[in-house]
Amino acid sequence: MINDIRLSPLYPMVNPQSIAFLGASNNFSAMGSTIFSSLRKAGFPGRLYPVHPKEKVVQGIAAFEKVEDLPETPDLAVFVLPTRLVCETLEACGVKGIRHVIIVTAGFREVGGAGLELEKQLVETAKKWGIRFLGPNCIGVTNPHKLLNTTFMRSEGSAGFIGLASQSGSFVTQMFNYLDRFKVGFSTAFSVGNSADVDIVDCLEYLGACPHTKVIALYVEGLVRGRLFVETAKRISIKKPIVALYVGGSETGRKAGFSHTGTMAGPDRLYDGIFRQAGVVRARSVTELFDFARALGSLPFAAGRRVAIQTHSGGPGAAAADACGRTGLEVPPLLPKTIEKLSAFVPHTGSIANPVDITYSKNPMDFFSQIPSALLEDENADMLLVYYLVPLAMVLRPIMSMGLDEETAAAHATRWLDEQAASLADLMGRHNKPIAGFTFRSITEHFPQALMSRGIPVFQGPEKAVRALWACYEYARLKSRLLA
Amino acid sequence: MEPEKILEKALLEGRKNLTEHESKQLLAAYGLPVAREVLTQSLEQALSAAALLGYPLAAKACGSKIAHKSEKSLVRLHLQDDAALEKAFQELANSPDAEGVLISPMIAGNRELVLGLVRDSQFGPCVMAGLGGVLTEVINDTAFRMAPVNEGEALDMLDELNGKAILGPFRGQAGADKSALAACLVALGRIGMEQEAVKEIDVNPVILGPEGSITAVDALVVLQARKVKP
Repeated sequence: MINDIRLSPLYPMVNPQSIAFLGASNNFSAMGSTIFSSLRKAGFPGRLYPVHPKEKVVQGIAAFEKVEDLPETPDLAVFVLPTRLVCETLEACGVKGIRHVIIVTAGFREVGGAGLELEKQLVETAKKWGIRFLGPNCIGVTNPHKLLNTTFMRSEGSAGFIGLASQSGSFVTQMFNYLDRFKVGFSTAFSVGNSADVDIVDCLEYLGACPHTKVIALYVEGLVRGRLFVETAKRISIKKPIVALYVGGSETGRKAGFSHTGTMAGPDRLYDGIFRQAGVVRARSVTELFDFARALGSLPFAAGRRVAIQTHSGGPGAAAADACGRTGLEVPPLLPKTIEKLSAFVPHTGSIANPVDITYSKNPMDFFSQIPSALLEDENADMLLVYYLVPLAMVLRPIMSMGLDEETAAAHATRWLDEQAASLADLMGRHNKPIAGFTFRSITEHFPQALMSRGIPVFQGPEKAVRALWACYEYARLKSRLLA
Repeated sequence: MEPEKILEKALLEGRKNLTEHESKQLLAAYGLPVAREVLTQSLEQALSAAALLGYPLAAKACGSKIAHKSEKSLVRLHLQDDAALEKAFQELANSPDAEGVLISPMIAGNRELVLGLVRDSQFGPCVMAGLGGVLTEVINDTAFRMAPVNEGEALDMLDELNGKAILGPFRGQAGADKSALAACLVALGRIGMEQEAVKEIDVNPVILGPEGSITAVDALVVLQARKVKP
């Protein structure tokens, strides 16, 4: 196991100082040109060397006719070439001394027939020169902490803590915008494609040692080095959480996966067991994979499965309690001392039980400080789930009724919401118990954004929030079993 | 008999699996609790086995080409006396591919489990536990782990079953001896790691007695001739 990330064989690929780019031109509709442009727009601070047989300048940067003409040996070469040129270009890179390559080009094992032979040649050439390569049939790597993005999609949002290794490129590119909505982002994301050389196990090892990565997410269609995967994941999952989505366990998923990356899949129940054995929390869908990742990457670990639910409306409280029961979480009775503390804040119309349904707040501040504080102090509760219904307009109205103009009132209202979010985040830190929120309103409203940017994940609806809390509990359970 | 000798003999004969009797001998050598049984070749042997084991008894046709015994009516259960045994013995001994008749006591218990070993192309030997009996495929409630497994992992497999309640106290019957079940799974994992010639093992059913005891009453060990990559 690597403890220093710089010792990882993938380090130069993910943190290059210089990149040779093969397949970019001034024809902007070409795939290679799009990727090169997105690499530049990400603000990559290192040296870029486009290689092109005819163009002297590519997108304003001096180009080189052949790999051998490059003025230095770059840390990384990116190929977006026609399939037939890939093997000979890899050979030229070997001669030049390049040892890390990303092969975006497709048309290898995944198409069968001659593609199989071509991929074998690729592996042999790489072995001969000691080259480590990602792909083929992938979209490469993104490392927002180093402003590196070899995908065609422009990176959005900020660098984050989710490390991804994916057998699909879309779950890298499509997630830039998706994750930004939840105020999280990638630490590093790999698209492994056909995994002819670098595979999910290599990426897992890298992400395990990566200091920016707090949680590792895996999208799996089929694992090849299965036994090594389990051993590697076991070592890493006792240090940081790993979540995985496996789609090869159904007949339909298995067939689609095979034509996608040419990977053999195994039975669903086998992967259930393997993940559990390796300390990996299994997600059921793509969105759940990232729900789990943001919860496990930002929340403290759950000591048990008991949830306190706080709401100001009966229906969402009951739905949340039902979701807990169905997910294997408990909704325990509150301790007498908690009920006593809460009686000061809950009006006579409310219900002081679990879920706590306050109906309306005597003092709106109580909802974000006194009440959650009392629930987190309760030794019967391991986690807190809160239903939020705080649109900005609702806060704005009473402030404006005091005679302030809209702009001043909005400034007051957002500041107030920020303070409440900070108060909850502070409570979570002090009690070291996970808090999750749920809403049916837009996740991009001010308050959920304020909470999420402070590490309290908010979900659309109680079911997703409850599953994410379950993941916190499940991870803690798997980890303690591995350490036993 | 030593496991290696049982396997070597079958491989030399070019067989694809062990007989039920050999399968149980192999499992017993690894500490699995298998039902007591006697392989008999004649009615005299069968009757003396009955005197040793006591009624009620089960009789089964045994042979290296025999699988799916219950589908082919090669099993006679709840035999109460010598006359019933004699009739069963004659029928079974004359059935195609029978190389002998296995006589064993009826094991009490109506809760049935399945334990096993499979070799996966990516994960190598993997142990399996599930709810067993004739409805195994229909119920499809199984848990897998990559071998080798330790006791904690084996216990977690049992906990993973949807129907795990059947392992607890159930309708006046005691809960299963889970540590004994876990020990079986650990042992199956060891076989997977140590015996390259074993391709698959299916122990079905494992009967859970009213006092929580576990007994393997049927088993099939499938062989593979050459070494395969784990």
